[in-house]
Amino acid sequence: MMTLEQSIALHASRTPDKIAVECAGDRITYGNLWNAIVERSEELKAAGLMENRPYVFRATQNIAFVVTYCAVHYLGAIAVPLENQALEMNFQAVRDEVESCSFAPDIVDILYTTGTTGKSKGVMLSETALTSCADNFICDMHFTPELLFIISGPLNHIASLFKMHPVLTVGGTVCILDGLKDMNAFFEVFNLNYNKFATFMVPASLRLIMQFSYEKLCSLADKIDFIETGAAPITQTDMELLAKALPHSRLYNTLGGTEIGAVCTYDFNDGRHMEGCIGRPMKNSTVEVTEDGSIIVSGKTIMSGYVADPESTAKVLQNGKIYGADLGYVDGEGLIHLTGRRGDIINVGGFKVNPVEVENAAASHPAVKDCICIAAQHPVIGTVLKLLVVLSEGAELDKRSIALHIKERLDSFKVPTYYEAVDAIRRTYNGKPDRKYYQK
Amino acid sequence: MKQHIYKLLSDALPTVDFDRDFLFGELDSLGIATIMMLLERDFKIRLKVEDATPRNLRNIDSIVKMVETKLAEK
Repeated sequence: MMTLEQSIALHASRTPDKIAVECAGDRITYGNLWNAIVERSEELKAAGLMENRPYVFRATQNIAFVVTYCAVHYLGAIAVPLENQALEMNFQAVRDEVESCSFAPDIVDILYTTGTTGKSKGVMLSETALTSCADNFICDMHFTPELLFIISGPLNHIASLFKMHPVLTVGGTVCILDGLKDMNAFFEVFNLNYNKFATFMVPASLRLIMQFSYEKLCSLADKIDFIETGAAPITQTDMELLAKALPHSRLYNTLGGTEIGAVCTYDFNDGRHMEGCIGRPMKNSTVEVTEDGSIIVSGKTIMSGYVADPESTAKVLQNGKIYGADLGYVDGEGLIHLTGRRGDIINVGGFKVNPVEVENAAASHPAVKDCICIAAQHPVIGTVLKLLVVLSEGAELDKRSIALHIKERLDSFKVPTYYEAVDAIRRTYNGKPDRKYYQK
Repeated sequence: MKQHIYKLLSDALPTVDFDRDFLFGELDSLGIATIMMLLERDFKIRLKVEDATPRNLRNIDSIVKMVETKLAEK
């Protein structure tokens, strides 16, 4: 299978005037995109970037990002996109880490993720993993050249970044939005002159759209070819509501992750709307479910390992198989169902948060004597973080002060939404916070 | 009403500075959804996606004005 850049070059020669990327009123054709990629790769080369060396940059949610991402690959270097709002100290730390390493010749992307263990890690991905993941989407979700695919999530995240691959591989059009906070901008995309639209949204964003603009969503039923969700569980009620709004669209619930790629998918617009169902493995993936319910993934889409962390790599990647934290079972029809995750990681709208990291950041606030970070339910967003705080002598609960203190130290999605003062934090016999007690 | 909305929203979104004049730039989708949901519940009004504009969510005064308009329409 051709690489993303080879596909863009091919479309640039065959359909140079076709729009490749739309973004906030700006647009670029395949012909111009290819020229910009070649030009940018020359700039990067002149600046000293070499083959098989990493290039760390921010996912700026615009056409320039697409150009740079592809230019890095075209040069034979390794793309390391980070969150656009990443703290400068985190940006520098990642740059220091990757620049001190050497990489296997087939590595093309490094995506930083909280992943299965909670500690931020660089996931190394090969060209084969990227093209096979795109092939999974193209074959199992039927991406076509006439499709306009809306990407509203962060482009450093696999769920968004790896949608760019299948769309541009088949010669379709990507529309990049800077998040979903301007929901009107999302709906305005449907006024563009395209016949088929598709998008990926985490369940929290789908709920948001359904809560505040259900009628508008219903009015787009004939235009929406498919919507994919994943990264967090979607409820049966939300599946049913979405299916009612879009009776003829394909509605996919996908199992994917940075370490495993896009692996399984299930079109829940089948009249059954089975909660937790992720369907069957896609073309280039194999999924096994063990007797104790552990989900093991193998195939061409899996990662090559974590950057500079052979110990963590060995825990997760053994004999070409990824042993993640997902739990599930296979039903009589051969469909795979997710039942939960092992461990303490909290999934906030698709972002995995290690509660210990939040607790450590909060603990250095003078008013915090002790604390525990737990999952709580937000009526629209779903799972959010809550910090239970034992206050220092004489201190009062100043939510804003604690929240800002954490925000200065961690990425914004790790800042708890809710705060509550408590008398004590319940602990286990060995002194660790009793997380199971608070999960009840 | 302004003080009430200020407290309601500040409690729910502790990292957001509601004294700012361009709130929309500071908010993310979760923040906007939270504001819309809290105002709907507290004032028993119906808000739609069309209401979540940079103009309506520019600052605390524009949020108050949006609520007053919705209450008058009830």
